[in-house]
Amino acid sequence: MAGVSVVGYIPGTSILHRLDPRTKQFLVMFLGIVCFLANQWYFTIVTICILIFSPKSVWPFRLIGELKFFLLFLCVLFLVRGFGLDAHYIPYTDAERLQQAFLFCWQLLLVVLLGVMLVYTTSTKDIRAGLVWWLKPIPFINEQVLATMIGLLIRLIPLILFQALEISDGMKARNIENRRYPFYRFVRFTIQLFRRAFVTGDDLVDAMQARCYTEKRTMPLLTFAALDVLAALLGIGIALISLVGS
Amino acid sequence: MRYLQADNLCHRFADGSVALDQVSITVAAGELIVIAGANGSGKTTLLKHLNGLLLPQSGQVILDDVPIVDDLRETRSKVGMVFQDPDSQIIGDTVYDDIAFGPENLRLSSQEVKRRVTKAMAEVGLTGFENKIPQNLSGGEKRLVAIAGVLAMDPAVLLMDEPFSNLDYGSARSVLTQIRRLHANGHAIIITTHDLEKVLGYADRLVVMRGGKIAADGQPSEIVTTIESYGVRPPCSVLMNGVIEPWLG
Ligand SMILES: Nc1ncnc2c1ncn2[C@@H]1O[C@H](COP(=O)(O)OP(=O)(O)OP(=O)(O)O)[C@@H](O)[C@H]1O
Ligand SMILES: [Mg+2]
Repeated sequence: MAGVSVVGYIPGTSILHRLDPRTKQFLVMFLGIVCFLANQWYFTIVTICILIFSPKSVWPFRLIGELKFFLLFLCVLFLVRGFGLDAHYIPYTDAERLQQAFLFCWQLLLVVLLGVMLVYTTSTKDIRAGLVWWLKPIPFINEQVLATMIGLLIRLIPLILFQALEISDGMKARNIENRRYPFYRFVRFTIQLFRRAFVTGDDLVDAMQARCYTEKRTMPLLTFAALDVLAALLGIGIALISLVGS
Repeated sequence: MRYLQADNLCHRFADGSVALDQVSITVAAGELIVIAGANGSGKTTLLKHLNGLLLPQSGQVILDDVPIVDDLRETRSKVGMVFQDPDSQIIGDTVYDDIAFGPENLRLSSQEVKRRVTKAMAEVGLTGFENKIPQNLSGGEKRLVAIAGVLAMDPAVLLMDEPFSNLDYGSARSVLTQIRRLHANGHAIIITTHDLEKVLGYADRLVVMRGGKIAADGQPSEIVTTIESYGVRPPCSVLMNGVIEPWLG
């Protein structure tokens, strides 16, 4: 089971851990949205903030391991955006183009990192409690149900990825790599994955029901502290300064 | 004094396989019952009926003189279940959150949830594990987390599905110690196993299942002599000396 890498909660007592989940959700949304309006100064400051405040244990190997598919995707994106093909399919580029591609990828990376930091430092329970608070003022939706669905999704995605790894190991152990056709491998793999995801889902539902699962549960007590005000002001300040300064 | 009772349960799965066929069983308050049987004999299916996770096609389960279908939530708060596979039972991000899951569903106050979780953790010897990630624990520790998660709900009856599977000697000892302690505190406990060695010495009753039916039900010392004919291996001490000996010396 070791070596399975999915982004999940890391218990701890850092500043980010101590912030109220609602503050963190606000900062992720706000800083993330401003990413799409801002310039490299803003990117630099946010990057530095992430480096300072993120849990030290994830740098760099764990983070790279957990985000490897996304990082690969970013590299492809950079190549596609940074290079064009001329009439003879020869790639060409220029400084301007490369810079644009780089900034674009940086901005996507930041948005993802902000979300990842939220998941690292906030338990599913607190994420859910925060979501319920945000969703409450919206009319005609049941914030409890919606928050549970989002919470379950967060929980099931790692499970599914985890099983993807386990199944592929199990198949390797039984020499599936000797099959000539990758397509066969792919089909077997996908069928197994879906079947297992549903079986696990069933077990999880059983386990939750056996412990009287209900949407209206005891909620964690959320309280804003001075630290939360400080963090929110800092976030807004960074955004304003780099927007005005550009 | 019967507390939990199943009458003529029949269960047929969607694929047509009959997992329970006219199963009746009564559980007295505070009783420790061992259910033995070969793979596929219907042990897990029976347990899942006792707390209403599965509902029978015919027959009924009665808890404290009330049919459980009248209030399944109430039933599940009184009849806790520890599953065969502890991995599929983990719900929380940390050991603390996982154990708190049940009490939170009972809508207890935050202080009461905290009190119960702390108590349950101390009882199973997991104090200090609050902030560990359950997925990373050893098999034995996971099983203890699962037991603590059920204890925190303070049920009268505990259903334990194969509580010793995949455990080494030390972990099996600590799980068995928990079972004995809970039994001494007056919990009714129902344990399924195909490994009678560990637990039979402490059981009040032995029930044997075969092919979805109850094949035998009675005093452990009587039933154990014929148990091999149902595909279950008798404990060593029975084979060697003809008596059931306690596993924890
Ligand atoms: N979801 C299901 N769908 C179809 N058949 C099932 C399902 N679950 C169990 N069965 C069948 O019901 C029968 C009893 O299964 P059950 O899991 O209760 O056995 P068990 O005594 O717990 O076995 P084990 O010792 O292997 O845990 C088996 O024949 C099994 O194949
Ligand atoms: Mg079973």
